[in-house]
Amino acid sequence: MELQAVLMAAGGGSRMMDLTYNTPKPLLPVGNRPLIWYPLNLLERVGFEEVIVITTKEVQKALSTDQRLKTDVKMRLDVVCIQEEADMGTADALRHIQQKIKTDILVVSCDLITDVALHEVVDLFRAHNATLSMLMSKVHEFTETVPGQKGKKKAGEQRDFVGVDVTGKRLLFMANEADLEEGLVLRKSIMRKHPRMLIKTGLLDAHLYCLKRSVVDFLVHNKSVTSIRGELVPFLVRKQFSKSLNSQNATEDTEKNQKQQDAHHNFELLSTSKDEALLQLARERSCWNDHRGDMSEAYHGGKLRCYVHIMEEGMCYRVNTLAAYIEANRVVPKLFEDPPIHPSAVVSERSLVGSDSIIGPSCQISDKTSIKRSNVGTSSIIKEKVKITNSIIMNGVTIEEGCNIQGSVICNNAMIGRGADMKYCLVGSGQRIEPEGENGVAASTDPLSPPPPHPFNFSTSPPPTFLSSLSSWTRLFGHNL
Amino acid sequence: SNVCHVAAPDLAATSRPRKADKDEEEKPLQAVLVADSFNRRFFPITKDQPRALLPLANVSMIDYTLEFLTSTGVQETFVFCCWMASKIKEHLQKSKWCRPTSPNVVHVITSDLYRSLGDVLRDVDAKALVRSDFLLVYGDVVSNIDVSQALQEHKQRRSMDKNVSVMTMIFKESPPGHKTRCEDDDIIVAMDGKSKRILHYQRAQALKKLHFPMVRCLEVGSDEFEIRFDLLDCHISICSPQVAELFTDNFDYQTKNDFVRGLLVNEEILGNQIHMHVTRDGYGARVSNLLMYDTVSSDTIRRWIYPITPEANFADQEGQSCTHSRHNVYREPGVSLGHGSQMEENVLIGRNTVIGANCTISNTVIGANCVIGDNVTLDRAYIWNRVHIADNVKVKQSVICDNVEVKHGVVLSEQCVLAYNVVVGPDITLPEGTVLSMHHPDEEDDEDEDEFLSDDNDVGYSKDKTKQKVFNPAEVGSEGKGYRWKSSSLDDTEEDELAECIWGLALSADPESDSESEVSEGSHDLGSHPASPELDDVKVFQNEVHGTLQRGLDENISCDNLVLEINSLKYAYNISLKEVMQILMRVVLEFPFQQQGAQISTAQYSSHLLPLLKKWAPVFKNYVKRPQDQLDCLASMEEVFLECETHWAVLMSMYQLEILEEEGIMHWFNQGSTTDKSQQLRRNQGLLKFIKWLQEAEESSEGDE
Repeated sequence: MELQAVLMAAGGGSRMMDLTYNTPKPLLPVGNRPLIWYPLNLLERVGFEEVIVITTKEVQKALSTDQRLKTDVKMRLDVVCIQEEADMGTADALRHIQQKIKTDILVVSCDLITDVALHEVVDLFRAHNATLSMLMSKVHEFTETVPGQKGKKKAGEQRDFVGVDVTGKRLLFMANEADLEEGLVLRKSIMRKHPRMLIKTGLLDAHLYCLKRSVVDFLVHNKSVTSIRGELVPFLVRKQFSKSLNSQNATEDTEKNQKQQDAHHNFELLSTSKDEALLQLARERSCWNDHRGDMSEAYHGGKLRCYVHIMEEGMCYRVNTLAAYIEANRVVPKLFEDPPIHPSAVVSERSLVGSDSIIGPSCQISDKTSIKRSNVGTSSIIKEKVKITNSIIMNGVTIEEGCNIQGSVICNNAMIGRGADMKYCLVGSGQRIEPEGENGVAASTDPLSPPPPHPFNFSTSPPPTFLSSLSSWTRLFGHNL
Repeated sequence: SNVCHVAAPDLAATSRPRKADKDEEEKPLQAVLVADSFNRRFFPITKDQPRALLPLANVSMIDYTLEFLTSTGVQETFVFCCWMASKIKEHLQKSKWCRPTSPNVVHVITSDLYRSLGDVLRDVDAKALVRSDFLLVYGDVVSNIDVSQALQEHKQRRSMDKNVSVMTMIFKESPPGHKTRCEDDDIIVAMDGKSKRILHYQRAQALKKLHFPMVRCLEVGSDEFEIRFDLLDCHISICSPQVAELFTDNFDYQTKNDFVRGLLVNEEILGNQIHMHVTRDGYGARVSNLLMYDTVSSDTIRRWIYPITPEANFADQEGQSCTHSRHNVYREPGVSLGHGSQMEENVLIGRNTVIGANCTISNTVIGANCVIGDNVTLDRAYIWNRVHIADNVKVKQSVICDNVEVKHGVVLSEQCVLAYNVVVGPDITLPEGTVLSMHHPDEEDDEDEDEFLSDDNDVGYSKDKTKQKVFNPAEVGSEGKGYRWKSSSLDDTEEDELAECIWGLALSADPESDSESEVSEGSHDLGSHPASPELDDVKVFQNEVHGTLQRGLDENISCDNLVLEINSLKYAYNISLKEVMQILMRVVLEFPFQQQGAQISTAQYSSHLLPLLKKWAPVFKNYVKRPQDQLDCLASMEEVFLECETHWAVLMSMYQLEILEEEGIMHWFNQGSTTDKSQQLRRNQGLLKFIKWLQEAEESSEGDE
């Protein structure tokens, strides 16, 4: 076994609380499959037979009951539960399962939906005997209007800066815009080794990492590291050019202690495979080199190397925001050759279901209903004369007759009363929108107001009363309610 | 007239479609060639011959430059000379460039007043010499680059975005470690990969860390940029006429570096951009020091600058046509080689040179009419014309100028320079880096009086002085003639931030030299940043100002320069003008304490301070201008003198030196005070006396009117 796969599925989805309040992120339906299915499928496609899934009790239960997951996923799932309250970071989680890790690892996040050829990442890892190789992609521009979000894009989000060498593979530099207010500072010694550096922004970190086993050992010794992306990866990237890896001469006493500690940790970082000596010999005997210009040895003698595969085309989403969730739902169905309408769904002949929509199992679609560019989840009931466009209807939703739903997301088990007209709304799970007349709020937008329409989100915190939910969602409701 | 037009001989021009900008296209390409380096890098060699005329593979450097310009399509070249202009002019008049058949018309423009590239370009603007885009090169550039593609791109950019891009700089790829990389010119460039625009340009020579301002580096709408450290500045640029205008507008631009930096920093204000063109295959390098001379010479002989090769005789000089044989051995006519002598590889030997027996010669250029004895070993030697080398001499990587005599048994270690007419030996070993010249190093100082670097004054007037000095046999041998130049006397600290020596920096200047900083960086890796005690900016600024003034005193720096330095400190530490004034005042007032201890008497204090105040009055005047400034100043004074009120006599001097005016002082005095101490201060006898005197003076002056 060359690589062990680790799936991180314990994240709470803090950036899309609207959706994950009642449904854990790994179980959110995307294209009528739970989100976790996608990374599992990605791993299975390339031949993994076993995967360690780090997740919560709730998800574990669902994993064992969800029919679709059971039939689709053939891999053996080694589920490790962590407590939700423990507030563990991804690096903490790796430390947690340290005993299980015998080889180098491939870490995947549960919110990754991609059609990447995974071997690209792994090949970089293999070819360069890398410590880290990771996947990035060009950021997708989200085109759809997102409920609760004014304007197209949230401005002011801080960008990541990634520096790669001339081949675009070696990862040389990584920083967040917030760290670069003073400007970007690079050591000249790095530029000497890699005289051409491309600094890129607009990249999405797919949170897919190949890591050397020694990195896990390193984590065990450095308990302060809690997150892979936040701390470990930037550390490894920096460490590539740090001299202390090789230097032996300690000068001052105070430094000495620090160094010994370092040396210990670095030893952990470097004690790679037992073939290392052989690889070293092979490299010495070979005329191959990773750089042009000077005649020094390959990798300039560096022992720690980070690589990145940047997808130029293809699909790569991290479903961690509402916008990404909506976008993923639009795009994903095109990937599968499943029939758009599940055989167990009951669809009236006098209804209109566009070929760009998918209808989940056990749905009921009644007469004179039209569904375009929308996903309808399992066991949802759509009554007569309903018009649904550009929307995501999750599982067990009931939509009464005469509703017009456009650009909205309706979460699990919601009930939409008769005659509701909603544009760009988000309805929380279990929420009831009372029929027209009984509750005037449902008629959401003034038809005369030009786009972008002002969004209304109906979501809920535990008490099922509508009004109580308002206060907790003022961020999304805006001022005029 | 129609008929006439059709019958015009230039059929190609008439058949071309008529465009609105046809005139623009048909303007002949012009070039500005600056045949002066405006530095003393090649001293003492360039005391006798300007750099542009120094032979490189037996051809003057300026001929390479002109050949490059001509072959790239330049039809009119303005050669600007300053140092030894007459020699350059004479050389050009005899050359093929001034023959009537020359496709490139060369105009020589000389002036003693040029002190920098900036002056030359300002003159270009003043004389309105250029009509369209032109090439700007130095007279020591050796290149075979075809700039037509770069020129086309440049024109396209300019037509697309009217007059935004003013310059296209030409670079050659040469990554760190490459032989043709000039470590003096260690530049780092941030560029936009698509538009080829230069976003940031910096000479990184003395830096360990490279700093890129994000604001400039990331263009709007672009999500990436490239940082390149693998470029050699060929010192060839395509300039629009605006460049000359910009030099006129910004009279403080002296060098191209000033210009590029100034333009990039002010880009948002001026809206001008600089682009770049990188050549992979072409060759372009400037001979900016002797290491580059060594490199470019050997590249020429190894035919990297094809079609400019030694046997091409492109300068079309009589008797210079040489033969090219295996291992890049070139011989001009009349060369005689003694029995058993070997020309191993990469050797060029000038006409009528006689080489004795059993010599070993490799990677070497020998000029015309030289005589070389027996058993001589030459490796990487650059021997110019009419040089006599006796038997048993060894030379390694050295330059030997015209008419030098090297007596038998002499060994020249690496990087020796024997300037014109020097005699060395016999039987002496010159250590590495020896520079010998017939000019005494001190005579330079005599000329320094006028501070100008490129003057054409005859060096003869100091001859009599030279004669008094004697040659040191320990330096030049018992029969030798010449003075040793210490590298320190070559430093030109004011000319450039670098202390430059004739050979320049060695290429492999140990890339790991910054390992220390890396170690320290490695140790605080995981967020455990050591808390460095950060001095308060104001405090640091105060220390810096004190240091600056102290230095000003020691080195007798003019007040203008002090103001400049203080201003730059002000920006560096982001200090407000008011604070600058107060700190300056404080520092100056505390100066005597710093020097003499805090316990000095009033008399001592005044006697120390007064000369300082006198000296620095212009500095104060520069900052203290408005009435409010005076009050701020006085407040700061008050603060200092709260502790030692007896020193108030200083106020009088400040008044007399016109740093402070009476309105200000009166206003401050009448302002009333808040604390007991300052009230007490105001009751000081000396101060009251002075105030009274002031009042009376005012009244009397009023009475006068």
